[in-house]
This record gives sequence, structure tokens and C-alpha cells, in this order.
Amino acid sequence: MNATPLLQLSGVRAGYGIIDVLHGVDLRVMPGEVFALLGPNGAGKSTTLRVCSGQIVPSSGTLRVGGREVNGVASDALARAGICLIPEGRGVFPNLTVNDNLRMWTFSGTPYKAVADKAFHYFPRLHERRNQLAGTLSGGEQQMLALSRAISTDPVLLMLDDLSMGLAPLIVEHLYERVGELARDGLSILVVEQFAQAVLGVATRAAIMLHGRIDRVGSPKELASEAASAYLGGDAPRAPSTVPHHSHHSHDEGPTP
Amino acid sequence: MSEKTEMSERMREFQGEVDNLKVGGGNANPERMWRKLAIVGMAAAIVIEVIAYFGSHGTTNALSQRDYVIVALLGLTIGVIATGIFVVTSLTRYLRYWLIRLIYQERESTDRVVDAVTR
Repeated sequence: MNATPLLQLSGVRAGYGIIDVLHGVDLRVMPGEVFALLGPNGAGKSTTLRVCSGQIVPSSGTLRVGGREVNGVASDALARAGICLIPEGRGVFPNLTVNDNLRMWTFSGTPYKAVADKAFHYFPRLHERRNQLAGTLSGGEQQMLALSRAISTDPVLLMLDDLSMGLAPLIVEHLYERVGELARDGLSILVVEQFAQAVLGVATRAAIMLHGRIDRVGSPKELASEAASAYLGGDAPRAPSTVPHHSHHSHDEGPTP
Repeated sequence: MSEKTEMSERMREFQGEVDNLKVGGGNANPERMWRKLAIVGMAAAIVIEVIAYFGSHGTTNALSQRDYVIVALLGLTIGVIATGIFVVTSLTRYLRYWLIRLIYQERESTDRVVDAVTR
């Protein structure tokens, strides 16, 4: 394994306007790794992904990609290089069919056949639904379509923001099986999740984020029992099946001044 | 094996693209910069006006006095623009704090509801 981290955040402080949401985040994603970033609403997980994808410039600290400091780099340049983010909300074209959506993915210069072959290889369900409007697909199928957009650009690092949001547990499990398959094919993945149990089977390393800081880093097994208690602010580890109460919050992550 | 070679080729290509990235350093907080610029602008406007007043007052040459009038108008323009920027950034800041307050209120109210339901 290459010793240079694919992505590294060192002491990153960042936020919106004058308000910092991240208060010194240290994070490292190695090549071939599936890194799970866990935490409740408002912990700063999505903001961390925005910093990693170049959408937010850190007010202090450094963002390194492939060992090079890239603070202030344009997000489209990072995306072209191979750092790909799938944001919350999927972002497919609801009024276009699956096929037409796949055609839209050819913007990066990849021929349609290559895009479709890759999409249908990882997500055979999309082949069955290829003539259906994307807006009429189920949430899981839309998420598959969003994932197919990401992999069509041949990324080196795939960043997933709350893949499980609004989806049934069985669908989430199926999606993470596909994510595991992508990882086995050599793709590095940084996944942000509220529900620890959903992702810990796929992740090779995980971290818990609380109040804009990385609270704990460890193996998925170690963190499985700690995640729920960390979300609830308790000291004693709880059973892995405990569902965090913070998941009841309907609003998205808020700033921590 | 071929997949691994392909991956390392992709990694090399990626490393090449990263090395060629144009990194401007960026500006984490343009709003703060505009605010500072506005304060400097307002201070500069006062200084320019004072210089223009005393310059104009200290000469009987009409041509020089007209020059000082132009300088004073320039100072006035800078002052108006700087004040405008300052007001806009201050309002943005105030409204953002207001929004955060609402978010925190909503969060606390959700916590209270969850607490009441799970008790």
C-alpha cells in the first residue's frame, strides 16, 4: 500500500461566513481504504466532505490530496482529478429516463456505452428500469443512479454523504454491498453516515465526529459499540443495535459557533 | 493482477493531475476581507476629507482649491461605497446569527419532544 495518504486534513477549521463548524479536524484516508465518518446531526460531517471536495476553503489547517497541499483549489479541478462527491439528495434528473440520465453522465468525455456498461454491471436493476423516468424510481434506485454517475468519471476517491438517508434498511444494506464491491475493485471511499451499523460492515476504518472534531478513530468493530453512546453523550458503551436519538432531528447539520 | 496494474496506472495519472493542479490558496472568508476593506475605506475617506479641507483652506489659488474639491468628492465617493459595504456585511452577519439562534431553538425543542416521548 502506498504510504502517502490519498486525502489528509490537518487541523482544519472551516465553516460558513465567520462561523466555524469544524474546530480542528484531523483525518487521513489511505489508498484502497473505506473510511467511515460517523456522527449525529450537526457534528460537521457534511461540512468536512465539502472541505474535502474543495467547496469550502479551510480558514486554517491544511487539505492535502496525494500528499500535496491544495487549500483553495477549485472544486471542479479536484473532481476532474478524481475526487468525487455524491452529496445528500442524489441529484439525478427526475424528468429524464435512466438512459437519458446516463447519457448526461457522458459530459466528462466518457462514451455512453462505457458509462452504461459500468452502471449496469454494478447496478443491474438500472438496466431493468432503463426506460423509466428517474423521478419515478424508488429512493434506492435513484441512489444507484447517482452512484453510477460517480463511477462513470473513474474516480480515485469516492465520497458519499448520508447514502442511507430516507431509505429502508434492506435497500441500504444492498447499496452498501455495492459500495463494498466498488472498494474491492480498488476504489477508495470516504463515507459519511449517521447510522453506524449501516456502514461498519463495509468500512476498513472509522471515526466518530462530534461538535466539529474527530472524537475517536478506530476499527469498525471498536467503534460499533461506542458510536451510539457517543451520539447520546454517555460514557458507557451501549449495545450496537441502539438507535441514536439524534436521528429524530429533521433539520440538516447546523453550525457550531 | 491486470486490475491492480490498471489501478496503479490510474493512481499515477491521479498523482500527475494533482501535481498539475492550480492552487490559488483561496480565501476562506471573503466577507471578513470586505468588512476590513470597508473599515479602511471609511477611515481613508475621513482622512481625505480633512486633507482636502485644510488644503483648500490654506491656499488662495482658485485652481488649487478646485483640485482639492475634486479630492474631497473622491473622498466622499470612497466613504459612501465603504459605508454601503459595511452596512451590507453587518446585516449579513446579524441575520446569520439570527438564523443560528433559530436553528438552536428548533434543535432544543426537538430534544425536548424526543425526551418527552422516550421518557
